[in-house]
Amino acid sequence: MILIVLMIIPLIAAILSALIDRPRFGAVITLTGAIGILVLSVCSIMGVISSPGHVLVSIPGWIALDAFGGLILFLVAFVNMTASLFSVGYMDFSKGGSRRYYLNFNLFTFSMLVVPLLQEPNIVWIAVELTTLFSVLLVGFENTHEALEAAWKYVVLTLMGAAIALLGFLILYWAARHARIESYTWSGLLLAAPQMSPTLLEAAFIFILVGFGAKVGLVPLHTWLPDAHSQAPSPVCALLSGVETTVVLYVILRLLPVVKLVPSLHADMWLVSFGLVSVGAAAFLLLQVRDYKRLFAFSTVEHMGIILTAAGIGGGLAHTGVMLQIMGHALTKSFCFYAAGSVLLLMGTRDIASVRGLIKRAPATGVALLLGGLAIAGAPPFVLFMSEFSILRAGLHRGEYFTVGLLVLFIAIAFFAIMNHVSRMVFGSDETGENSFSMPLPMSCKFTLAVAAVPVAVLGLYIPGVLYKLLILAASTMGG
Amino acid sequence: MGKHILFNVLQVLMVMVFSPLAIGILNRLEEIVQSKRGPDIFQPYRDLLKLFSKDEVVPEESSWIFRIAPYIVFVGPVFVALLIPVLTSYPLFWAFMADMVGAGFVLALGGFFAALAAVDTANPYGAMGASRTRMVGFLAEPTFLIVFFTVSFVADSTIPFIVQQKWVTPLSNFFEPAHILLLFAFIMLILAEKGRIPVDNPSGHFELAMIEESKGLEYSGRAAALMKWGGWMKFFVLIIIFMNVLLTPWGLASTLSFRDVLIAIPLVLLKVLAFIMFLVIIESSLAKLRLFRISEFMSTAFVIAVIAMLTSAFTH
Amino acid sequence: MAMFTGVTDLVSNLNALAGGLFIVATFGIVVARQVRACLRFFILQSFFLAVSAFLLGMSPFSAHLMAVGAINLVAKVWILPWILLHMLSDEVYTRREIDQVVSIPASLIIALVLTIVACFFSLPWLRAVSATGAPCVNIPIGLAGLFLGTYTLTARREAIPQLLGLLAMENGAFFAGIAIAPDLPLIAELALVFDLLILIFVVAILTRRVHKRIGTTTVGMLAKLREEPYK
Repeated sequence: MILIVLMIIPLIAAILSALIDRPRFGAVITLTGAIGILVLSVCSIMGVISSPGHVLVSIPGWIALDAFGGLILFLVAFVNMTASLFSVGYMDFSKGGSRRYYLNFNLFTFSMLVVPLLQEPNIVWIAVELTTLFSVLLVGFENTHEALEAAWKYVVLTLMGAAIALLGFLILYWAARHARIESYTWSGLLLAAPQMSPTLLEAAFIFILVGFGAKVGLVPLHTWLPDAHSQAPSPVCALLSGVETTVVLYVILRLLPVVKLVPSLHADMWLVSFGLVSVGAAAFLLLQVRDYKRLFAFSTVEHMGIILTAAGIGGGLAHTGVMLQIMGHALTKSFCFYAAGSVLLLMGTRDIASVRGLIKRAPATGVALLLGGLAIAGAPPFVLFMSEFSILRAGLHRGEYFTVGLLVLFIAIAFFAIMNHVSRMVFGSDETGENSFSMPLPMSCKFTLAVAAVPVAVLGLYIPGVLYKLLILAASTMGG
Repeated sequence: MGKHILFNVLQVLMVMVFSPLAIGILNRLEEIVQSKRGPDIFQPYRDLLKLFSKDEVVPEESSWIFRIAPYIVFVGPVFVALLIPVLTSYPLFWAFMADMVGAGFVLALGGFFAALAAVDTANPYGAMGASRTRMVGFLAEPTFLIVFFTVSFVADSTIPFIVQQKWVTPLSNFFEPAHILLLFAFIMLILAEKGRIPVDNPSGHFELAMIEESKGLEYSGRAAALMKWGGWMKFFVLIIIFMNVLLTPWGLASTLSFRDVLIAIPLVLLKVLAFIMFLVIIESSLAKLRLFRISEFMSTAFVIAVIAMLTSAFTH
Repeated sequence: MAMFTGVTDLVSNLNALAGGLFIVATFGIVVARQVRACLRFFILQSFFLAVSAFLLGMSPFSAHLMAVGAINLVAKVWILPWILLHMLSDEVYTRREIDQVVSIPASLIIALVLTIVACFFSLPWLRAVSATGAPCVNIPIGLAGLFLGTYTLTARREAIPQLLGLLAMENGAFFAGIAIAPDLPLIAELALVFDLLILIFVVAILTRRVHKRIGTTTVGMLAKLREEPYK
């Protein structure tokens, strides 16, 4: 029951903010809804942990929540809340259109919330397609030439991937029907996997990997990602980079235990190769980036690649690393985009070379950007360092020396690139002279930075018990 | 046995006698559609008679190719008429002399020699037309081959008579994807091979734009008559192949009685008339394609033929 | 190529015919110069998809497939083109791509090669479940539709043909789906169609904005976002 209420809240918020045209009304409604969603999701997680079998069921066979889904749900809810908070201040400075912004925002949230709750793979595909559709107009929100180009590339490449994945899902259904599956859900697939034809399973897996990989940002289908994730308004960027790619990756990872039950498929080899290619390409692309929002977007590609490689490495330790990385990335990346959004509001330009000496001119933003840059690059003592370290350790345990070596190299290059750019922005000397700021940072943005900074700073050192249990349970659903 | 030979000869005579009539009706109908009166439908016969009684003038620079080409153009369709089901649905005496591929080659032979002869005359318009004809032919040959291949793959034989049997019995075979798609491809091929709109304008007199007509430009007297008649017979034979083998394989004589064969003659002529009317509609409603768009037209025909082949591969 | 047990009754022949015409229409989408012609070929393609669904629902009678065919017919042949035509100005549809990225005969040959590749890929799947009848026709054609749609997306520059290439991909996946997943829950079918309508709506809005802001719908020429020094 709680899950259904969870899904309905953003829908109601969307309808209300579309119908009523008072200033700030959309913001208030969205924020209220977001807080409600967060509360409900925490309750659901407690329910999942405490229930037998660690599954919370609303409609059997259709809507249920398990540990992995619960983790994703919590992350979506949290980032949604911080994004709504940031939007309050951000929208004050946009040229209007807050009604359509909040309409799309809530619909987008709805589509992302729904994905971890659904159990029937075909409906999950529809939900993933909806996440694209509802975010397209948000990406093109600013209505500039570049924003519209980014939105078009986003729509075309992502939906192309979705169509390819559709065929993959249909083939999966075919294989399942042929093996006389009882109930077509994620757990049902796991049970029927040994009887399913390996050829069909392999075909389905590859189609889904390639198709949804376009949406996750796997190289070479990632070309839309830097454009879309930099041209969108910053709170939307946080949602896109932080959780939307994660949600789609969740779907791919959900399929992984099914495929791993058929040993001849070498699914792990596919994942490791795709993952390494993405990490490598992203690391090198980070070196020559000129726009700081694109910097964070490429970093998303890098982290998605790391997660995929870790999933390919396999084993309990790697799976725990995967979950930790997912959680860390969602929270850290959204924080980075809030910092970047603040910089954009202050400086009015996205160019790295024009931004210098933030620590002197806007200390709060400067510190936030530095913190975000360090955290996302994987410096200790932040979460991403812990997760990457455990992934590398897992790789060494399993004897994947070559993979681990390449990963270390790429992560190092990315670290260098990110820190290079960020430190120049934060510490560099201001050659252009005293640049008067267009506007002071809104209160809500500062508040959001503070709120979002807390998990980024703390989780590397201490993970609360509930969260830790959730992570362990989620890792176990990925299979031994 | 004797009857088989008789019917075979009757087939050839029918092709020879009625092909000018077919062209005459086609020309008249096209003019009527354009609100003109048009020439008499028996005009082609009068043209042939006139040409046969005239003297021949031959270019000085031409060689034996120029002299021999009209005969090859004339004999080719006659030869093919022996092989295809024109009046009867069972194979006749000479039916196994060559199969579809052989018939295709024989028809192409006439076109080849005509093109060579056009170059042989040292007339620039002839050479231009010849090269354009070769361009159209170069794109049409692969399509022909694919059509023949698909038809023989589906019917398990390359003899036109046996192929024709395949489409007649069970009626559901008529709707096979290979069949219907090949109909489209074959119509496009006929339009290309015989130089009808949209590939070429048969009634144009402008030498710079001629493709088919340029082949017969330099001929006079008896050679011209043979070239024209051969072209009309090729047209008639292609229509017969299309109607009797592919589209409407019914109405042919299935017994050995002379009466059945005689009844088959007007039925076949009726089918030819139906095709001519359809052709008139197509020609009157389309415009001639630019030269470089002809390759698109032919590629489309090729693609349709290959799709026919693929779908037949998956249902057999 | 493998020889499957031939099914020669009328319905399966008609289904194969519908499949062949489906692919011909898809080829039309790939090469049609004028945007309006591209849209017409898409309508044809969706029509043959619906016809195939009807035919497949006939032999072991399945009201479910009939419903799928009817839904597709109404949504893709009627509503979707209507929305597209009315949300964008008429001028967009009269455009022709005069200079193509790949010339038309070359495009046709590439598309043909992709079709053959699709047939080649689908053979092992059909063998793995030793399928007979409808899946043997629908899956290669559906996969070919998917590939051809992808090619259209990459080779065309105008916005609407790119969108139609996308929809052609989904049509292709669907064409395969009606043979291999005939008992997909009806909720999924309806949600799919609804999702397609939302897609059209969103993309039409986006195209209108692109048209207003940039003055042309030749989205293939938009290339401002690159790693270049900022102006």
